Formats: sequence, C-alpha cells, structure tokens
Amino acid sequence: MKKSTWILIGVAAVIAIWAMSGYNGLVNKDEKVSETFSQLDNTYKRRADLIPNLVETVKKYTDYEGSVLKEVTEARSAAQNVTLDLSNATQEQINAYFKAQEQVGSSLSKLIAVAENYPDLKAIESFKDLQSQLEGTENRIATARKDWIEATKNYNASRRRFPNNLLASLFGFEQKAYYEATEAEKATPSVGDLFGE
Amino acid sequence: MGAVFSGLSRCGSSPSESSAEPARAVQQGIPAAPNPPRLVNDFAGVLGGRADELEQMLVAFDDSTSNQITVVTIPSLDGYDVAEYALELGRRWGVGKSINNGVVVLVKPKNSDGGGDVTIQVGYGLEGAIPDAYCRRIIDNEMIPAFKEEDYYKGIASACDQLMKLASGEISEPRTPEDPSGWAILLGFFLPLILFVVIVSIIHKKGGGNGMDQGSGGSSRPFIWFGPGYGGSSRSSGWGGSGWGGGHGGGFGGFGGGSFGGGGASGHW
Repeated sequence: MKKSTWILIGVAAVIAIWAMSGYNGLVNKDEKVSETFSQLDNTYKRRADLIPNLVETVKKYTDYEGSVLKEVTEARSAAQNVTLDLSNATQEQINAYFKAQEQVGSSLSKLIAVAENYPDLKAIESFKDLQSQLEGTENRIATARKDWIEATKNYNASRRRFPNNLLASLFGFEQKAYYEATEAEKATPSVGDLFGE
Repeated sequence: MGAVFSGLSRCGSSPSESSAEPARAVQQGIPAAPNPPRLVNDFAGVLGGRADELEQMLVAFDDSTSNQITVVTIPSLDGYDVAEYALELGRRWGVGKSINNGVVVLVKPKNSDGGGDVTIQVGYGLEGAIPDAYCRRIIDNEMIPAFKEEDYYKGIASACDQLMKLASGEISEPRTPEDPSGWAILLGFFLPLILFVVIVSIIHKKGGGNGMDQGSGGSSRPFIWFGPGYGGSSRSSGWGGSGWGGGHGGGFGGFGGGSFGGGGASGHW
C-alpha cells in the first residue's frame, strides 16, 4: 500500500467524521426546535382547557353581564381552529397562530380585571385555584416560547455557519421562521441577562 | 398576567456599591450555584442559625426520595419577576435529578428594597405531583402569614413540609452508586474511530474501492448513529453524582436536573 493512499484514506476519514457530526448536530438542533414548539403548543392547549371552568366560575358567582366572557370563549375557539404544522409553515401561518393565541391571552387579562371588581369571587377558593393555574400556565407559555425562539435561532445560526451551510444545502435544512415578541413583551427584562447570556 | 412586580427603587439605602452600570448590578443579582452544593441558601440572612436544620431535613428527603427542594433567599430581585428569577436559577443550578424532580422555593423578604416576594417553581418531573393551585395554597396559607410576622423559618419550613408530602406521593428515582454518563461519552467518542479503522482495514483488504457512502437526507432525515451518548442528549448533567460533601451536615449529593417549565405559583406581601 502506497503512502499516498493512506493519506487519502485518512483525509476521507476526517471528512466523513466531520460531516457526520455536523449533520447530526443539525438534526439535533432541528429536533430541538420541534420539541420546544410542541411544548409551547401544549401549554397553549393547557390554557385553553382552563377557560371553560374559569368562565363558569365567573358566571356562577357574579352578576357580570358584559362582553368579556363571550370574548374569551370566542378567542378560545378561534385559537383552537388555528393549528400549525411547523415543519412546513409560512411566516404568515406562524403569525396567524400566535395572533390567535395573543387574542386569548389579552381577553383573559380582561376577564381577570373584571374579576377584580368582585371581592366575593376573589375570595372563593376554587377561583383562587383557577387563577393560580392560569398564572402558572402563563409562566409556562412565556418559558416555552422563549425556549422555542432560542432553539430556532440556535438552529438558524448553526445552519448558516461554515461548514454546516454546505451540509445544510446538501441535505435541505431550511432556515426556520419564528414569531418575534411584540414590543410590549420585549420591554420586559429577561432574567437570562443576569447570567450574562 | 401574574407577574408580581416588586416596586423596588434601586438607590441609596442598599449598602452594596451604587454602581451606575446596570450590567454589573445585574450580575450581582443571581448567586452562583453553591460550592460545595447546598440545598438551603440563605443569601438574605433571614433564617438565622436554623438554615442547617432545614438543610438536614431537605437532604434527608433528597436521600430517601431523590426529590430536591432547594430554598433560596435573596435580598433583592433586581427588578425581575420572582417566578422568572427562580425558574432561571433552577435551570442554571440544575435543581433536581435526571427526571427533573426539583423544586425551587425563592423568598425575597420584605426589606428596604421593597415588598416581599415568594415563589415556588416546580420542575417538569414534579408538575403532576405538585400542581400550581397547591403551590398557591402553600404560599397563601403557610408562607405569607408567617412572613408577615417576620418568622421566615416557620413559613419556609412548613412550606417545605407540605411540598415534601406532595412530592413523595408520586415519583422517586432509585439511587445508583455510579453515574455512567462519563463512560458513555468517552465510548461515544472513541467507538466511531475504532469502527472507522476497522472499516477502512476491511476495505483495504478487499482491494480498495470508494466505500464511503453518505446516507442521503430526504425528508425523514435519519439520524446517523454515531455511538452512544454522542451529541444526542441536551440534558444538563449538572454536577450530579455522588461523593460530594464531606464536611457539611448530611452530605448533599449535588444537583443534576434543571428542567423547569414555569409551573408553580408566586405571591407578594
């Protein structure tokens, strides 16, 4: 066996290992995006599941007759009709999905504001439970959403970086779209800054 | 919603340096993971001499069920939401074991920096055992009444008591003496090399040929198996494992989880 053949095999080996790890890295990051998104989708569903109970409780213990209850119910069913297949969604579809969810969130805020006017309702244990579940779910949503955006950005950055960009175009890893936070949400400081990330 | 804003004014009264540079002040905010690891971290100094008592109770609970409840008190939230702060802390410290059975109890006492804030953040693995509504009840019924009387130990201890009861009702991870992940990583690194050398020598014996055939991607994107443990897991290994902690009471084994999703509840007084 000639020396040059061995060198050739060595170079091929290095390239193969490098390509494999680069490819697998992209697959992992791709998986992470789907994983974090389904987590987010689940937390939205979780919130939607709380709504009927919340609406019933408010109806039962108050004489409130305004439009907010209807608004919440409608926003919920509207959001349930907007499903998202992330793997081949356009930016418009992604925006529509989050707009629908934001609608649910803002109508729920209104409902909680309404409840503030009924001290009797606020004193009821089951309402307090519901409210804390809702708060916990909103926290979960915020967390899941942040994780998803982070995973997407991470994937996109890694996809564009050399030499992964060669692999990405070879194997069809496409740039992924995501939904940016609205201005109001951006204003909230991120605790991640505390750790210097 | 639910973000309990602690109306704090970052000025004068705090003895720490009045640095105008925000990044620096913010850096001071989150304490680093304790080394050696401890479950009770009384940075605000409200537990007096009884922190060790609590530590022993929680270490014993960790030993028997593997569920980790960590108690952290801090003098200031630096303007952040208490739930977000605790969640980030739980993630960074890696509170819990590999099944993410960690709980962070964070207390920011009422002081010159503003009103009191408390949160219980529950790791993914315990969300079923400790629902948000129960966290809220613990905060409302056990913690805040005691905190109002400045009895932080009582409030925190009885909260931990309740949390332990809830947590032990569901899952526990059997303790294993050795953590195999280190070996798996090593194996994952060297196995492909060894395999490759074997393949090359086989090809060589057959008289050459360009044997390397890259798996084509397609839409399903097969994951090319690259040996065990290589790059697959995104789980933080923390500083888990055993053998820590000679000197301090009970010997807490260290953290090793850290997957928090925002479950739990918060309160303000």
